Amino acid sequence: MIQPQTHLNVADNSGARELMCIRILGASNRRYAHIGDVIVAKNQKVVRAVIVRTCKELKRNSGMIIRYDDNAAVVIDQEGNPKGTRIFGAIPRELRQLNFTKIVSLAPEVL
Amino acid sequence: MACSSSIIGVSSSIYKTNPFRKFTSTPTSSSFHFSNPSCSFTSTDRFKSSFLPAVTSKSSFLSKNRRLSKSSALSDDYSENDFEQESEVTIDKREFAQFFPNQKMSEDTDDMFDDLFKKYGKVVFKGNAQKSAIAEVDEDAECLSFAVALAKVASDVKASDIKLLFVKPLVYWTRFFIIATAFSRPQIDAIGSKIRDLAETQYGRTATGDHKPNSWTLLDFGDVVVHIFLPPQRALYNLEEFYANATLIDLPFENQQTFRS
Repeated sequence: MIQPQTHLNVADNSGARELMCIRILGASNRRYAHIGDVIVAKNQKVVRAVIVRTCKELKRNSGMIIRYDDNAAVVIDQEGNPKGTRIFGAIPRELRQLNFTKIVSLAPEVL
Repeated sequence: MACSSSIIGVSSSIYKTNPFRKFTSTPTSSSFHFSNPSCSFTSTDRFKSSFLPAVTSKSSFLSKNRRLSKSSALSDDYSENDFEQESEVTIDKREFAQFFPNQKMSEDTDDMFDDLFKKYGKVVFKGNAQKSAIAEVDEDAECLSFAVALAKVASDVKASDIKLLFVKPLVYWTRFFIIATAFSRPQIDAIGSKIRDLAETQYGRTATGDHKPNSWTLLDFGDVVVHIFLPPQRALYNLEEFYANATLIDLPFENQQTFRS
């Protein structure tokens, strides 16, 4: 559940270490963002990012629940390509259904 | 009976991993904390589908020729007097408890074991979800022919440096990667649309992924993922280095054109 003012780790080697969420994209007045949502975030520059890990658990239809220890995002550009070249940490496979297969293909571990 | 959900907590602080390490094909990780669903096996139907250990006629599991008499089988404490001497295949209670800690020995399981042993003899565990090796290889072969067809289409549109990687041993979510380089966005568009058309007409498969041409265009057919790069992006992301452990598959056509500079 990421909202504006949330600080997130950066899970790639794009240069930034921490981002602060400014806005959640997708609908006006949207309150929270979860894994797979695109946010506008700021670290000296305003960039877009995809949330890849949250401390709030992610539920699957099979009943499995995945909960990470940190909130993390991957910086992307306007076209949706990741700005960094390598991703760190585990990535849930839900990102593939949300058309972020590029991030999944760069991930060291897909849960 | 409904199972409670299992919770997995993952610590990501240790993940400054070497991206070139060999991945396991199953999603396991040393920092997984996996708590089993707290189901208790009460019905024998559920029990039948669960794990049965490998037993042989000589194993200790069946060593003692004892048969639980029907009257005492329902209670937990068995006295020696209850056992009749029979030379049939039977189960010892202690070993039963070792193998099936959640299950209580009862009349039903006793009969069930008898039926199963009579029917199957030696029983070895085989998971239902595992496909046989032959079926898997067949599927891989089908997939390979599909991937080769896609690569051929890409080379017809003059994509260069087409590589077909078999990544199934490394990642579990796909089988093949096709990596190609195109030199302009209209060319990427052409490659993408031709690949989609071929997959649609000949194989009946649709792709998710990028519909508009992108400097890194990705077409996801499930077990085959097609990456189309512009030359600077290919050098930047360097997927071949990331998947260096994947086996490269030789393509049966000439596609090693040099980059236009």
